[in-house]
Amino acid sequence: MDLDFQKLLLTLLPDLVVVVALFAALGVDYSRLRGAALAKRYETAYRISALGLFAGLVMAVLQACGKMCVMDAAATAGQLKLTTNTLTLKTALFALALAVLPLAKRDLVTTHASEYFALILLATLGMGFVVTSQNLLGAFVALELVSLSLYAMTALNQSRAASGEAALKYLTFGAVSSGFLLFGLSYLYGATGELNLANLPQLESTSLLIAAYLLIFVGLGFKLALAPFHLWAPDVYQAAPTPVAGWIGSGSKIAAAALLLVLLQPVANSPELKKALVLALAALAVASMLVGNLGALRQTNLKRLLAYSAIANAGYLLVGVLAFDSPITDKANGNQSVLFYILVYSIASLGAFAVISVLADRLGRDAEISDFNGCWKAIPGLSIAFMIFLLSMAGIPPLAGFLGKFYLFLAAISALPEAASLDQGFYWLIAFALMMSVVSLYYYLRVLKAFLVVTDEDGEAKQVPVGIADRISIFALAAIIVALGLWPEPLLGLLQN
Amino acid sequence: MTALLTVILSFIGALLCGFMPASAHQRIRWVALATAVAGFAVSMVCYFDITDGKFQHILGEAENWIPTLGISFITGYDGISLPLLLVTGLVAICGVLFSWDLDNRANQFYAYYFALIGGVYGVFLSLDLFLLFVFYEIAVVPKYFLIAIWGGVRRQFAAMKLVLYSFGGSALVLLGIIAIFFLTKDADGAIKSFNLLELQKGEVAAEAQTWIFPLLFLGFAILAGMWPFHTWAPTGHVAAPTATSMLLAGVVMKLGAYGCLRVAVGLLPEGAQEWATCIGIFAIINIVYGAFVALKQDDFKFVIGYSSVSHMGFVLLGLATLNEIGLTGAVLQMFSHGVIGALLFAIVGTVIYTRTKTRMLDELHHLIDRMPGIAWVFVAAALASMGLPGFSGFISELYVLIGVWESLSGWILIGAGFGILMTFGYTLVKIHEAFFRERKTGDAPKVETPYPAMTIPEKVGITILLGASLLIGICPWILTDKITPSLELLLKPFAN
Repeated sequence: MDLDFQKLLLTLLPDLVVVVALFAALGVDYSRLRGAALAKRYETAYRISALGLFAGLVMAVLQACGKMCVMDAAATAGQLKLTTNTLTLKTALFALALAVLPLAKRDLVTTHASEYFALILLATLGMGFVVTSQNLLGAFVALELVSLSLYAMTALNQSRAASGEAALKYLTFGAVSSGFLLFGLSYLYGATGELNLANLPQLESTSLLIAAYLLIFVGLGFKLALAPFHLWAPDVYQAAPTPVAGWIGSGSKIAAAALLLVLLQPVANSPELKKALVLALAALAVASMLVGNLGALRQTNLKRLLAYSAIANAGYLLVGVLAFDSPITDKANGNQSVLFYILVYSIASLGAFAVISVLADRLGRDAEISDFNGCWKAIPGLSIAFMIFLLSMAGIPPLAGFLGKFYLFLAAISALPEAASLDQGFYWLIAFALMMSVVSLYYYLRVLKAFLVVTDEDGEAKQVPVGIADRISIFALAAIIVALGLWPEPLLGLLQN
Repeated sequence: MTALLTVILSFIGALLCGFMPASAHQRIRWVALATAVAGFAVSMVCYFDITDGKFQHILGEAENWIPTLGISFITGYDGISLPLLLVTGLVAICGVLFSWDLDNRANQFYAYYFALIGGVYGVFLSLDLFLLFVFYEIAVVPKYFLIAIWGGVRRQFAAMKLVLYSFGGSALVLLGIIAIFFLTKDADGAIKSFNLLELQKGEVAAEAQTWIFPLLFLGFAILAGMWPFHTWAPTGHVAAPTATSMLLAGVVMKLGAYGCLRVAVGLLPEGAQEWATCIGIFAIINIVYGAFVALKQDDFKFVIGYSSVSHMGFVLLGLATLNEIGLTGAVLQMFSHGVIGALLFAIVGTVIYTRTKTRMLDELHHLIDRMPGIAWVFVAAALASMGLPGFSGFISELYVLIGVWESLSGWILIGAGFGILMTFGYTLVKIHEAFFRERKTGDAPKVETPYPAMTIPEKVGITILLGASLLIGICPWILTDKITPSLELLLKPFAN
């Protein structure tokens, strides 16, 4: 095949820049800064990676705006799918990673300064490829790049023995689930003889294909923390360094959700296969909402609570995935709703972890909910930001999380628009999801009670210095949540297939 | 634009108060008062702008907000929303007056307070179901903080219970709204819009109305305090600080009733007819049960809390009639209970409590001697609540009863009559217990010094609320002239 290498270079320029920054960060740390103070090594690694990531982000934005003429399948010989839609996701991932970096710098959790940042960049690169990949194998390899970086980062919290244990748990669960995913993909390949998703033929409803997709659901269900594949999540969220937990809860979710949608597209034209798979998806959705919301009720640790909330939110997400085949012209489009929701959720989740990392890690606490008593007095700004993140996850308007959830529900109904009673279509599923979101408000409010209601006697002690970069990233995330709730149309437009 | 100013001003007021330093509570309360007065002034302007039954000053175009989902930002008001705008303004002003001495975290208090009020105004002005729902939900969360931070005994529990009930109700509403989006059809197929004006052009198939109507009605009615989902109301009202219980009883419960009327009855006429008798029966239970429980209460605030439940029963009963006079009664009763309920909570929660330091009826001793002025004001307010001719409650309940006579069964009318007798009963008994009898527990105080007289903000607040009730009681046409033409339009589908 003929490749236009100049075009290929242009296409991969954002990633190349990030790779260069990655090696630069490692190289400088290993050579010039050998033996330097830890804080200085962190600072340098942070600066180099932030600079590289920012440059990558700028180029990704240019690409997404159509300024670099890369939206052409021939540029990558059909291996990457570069459309406004996928490039927007990639841009969002780079931007979110940029918000993670300042958090990673604050706490010096590990002596592996440059490796820490290099791993964050590696994970980000992987996510960028997952959302753009058009090839079964390419997507799998990219997803593994993400996972391996995350496993390694989970173990980095040297101040906690549980960190290593959680990483091991994450790795074993993750490796098995990757096996499932690869198994499923190989069945899909075996049944169709095609690795490129764009060329997949019409799928028949055979038991082989059903098995293939069920295996894929297991694999991606693990990445998305869907029940019953969620067991790793609470431990990992709690023990990993907080910024890493934030990145697991946001970036990797975006990548996995996007991949799930892409893999489901070939099913759209075969009604029987679809019927079987939709049933499985609905079952996963119900299980996740149930486990996540009920599990969160009795958590006393904020990070564990957010892990269960992530499980529940993955369940809501699947409600929209059910409508993966709704026509693009339709007023409620399943894919668009899922991508919008996962983006909004990720922003809110990352924001919440950012606040925790600023407050809890610095105080050397374990992020028990009661540790945050009286925050309204010591740090009013961050408390308000935290309220915005949590209420967005709970789905309270006018925040973006509400619109996202609303859109998911709308999309699910539009999957079977002829349904006209509670037992037809997905009205029952929506009713269940709504009931569960009432439950969820209980635990979100419990957390907000600590932040905004309770008065703490030693409130003065909680005064924590918050760096300017942390402030910018937290308030920017909060502002985006508010803005997307009030004016979602631009982002919705970008996410149109 | 005029009407939308109520929302904008309230939110601006919330931000202003929120960003002022907590130590400046002397200045904050003036900002708060100004915001509340401005909101009321705007609704007065709306009052004079109304000319016929149609929606006035429609602002915004179809699908101008989120076209991808058929959502528009479109506002306007008619004779049904107007009395509710007015009562929101009145109660907001008086709420500030009765919290005049609040100094604990005053900046946050008024931030939540006006966020709630802005949401309430927004609901009454929305002409798009999605927008209405957004405002409806905006009014939920501030309630939690208002009660959990500034409330009284068992405030955390009451706040959580109240918010979960409200949120549960809105979950049902959301399901109903989504169903309406997909199932409202005109000649060209599904309309797929949330715009009320568009939706009125099509209709939902009768079989679908049968299940969507109860979802929507129940969802809204939970907030209106319908039995057996009313239990959030007394606990919430009692634990809340005075200004919040005034808002809850005066305005927030009306949100639910308004939603029932505008969305459930307005868009699903056939479903409404099918379920009317059922609603009527529940309404009677509300009236009678609320009254009975009020009679048994020892805590003065609980008495008022249950009397609110009982009076909201009349609103529901008016809705069940589905005829013009009954619905006029329902809307009037929303206004009337709005001012009187707020007044009663203000007197019991602030005026009496700050002086006696107790709300237990058994511990009150001959208050008539020690606070004669306050006692007579309360008696007047209680009689207004009881439905004494000359006050607004009388007119509205009369309208409702005539409506019931015209279209519902005689048994329901008898039930309502019984409920009214019960109301007389508990009102008189509780007036006696509070003001005219000796303390039952502990010794009678030796020296009976009179309590301090009412402060100026208290006097102003009481005058406003009692005056509003009297004004409507004597000249009901001030409101009915605006309400009835709008109801005629709303009831058009019922003629077929």
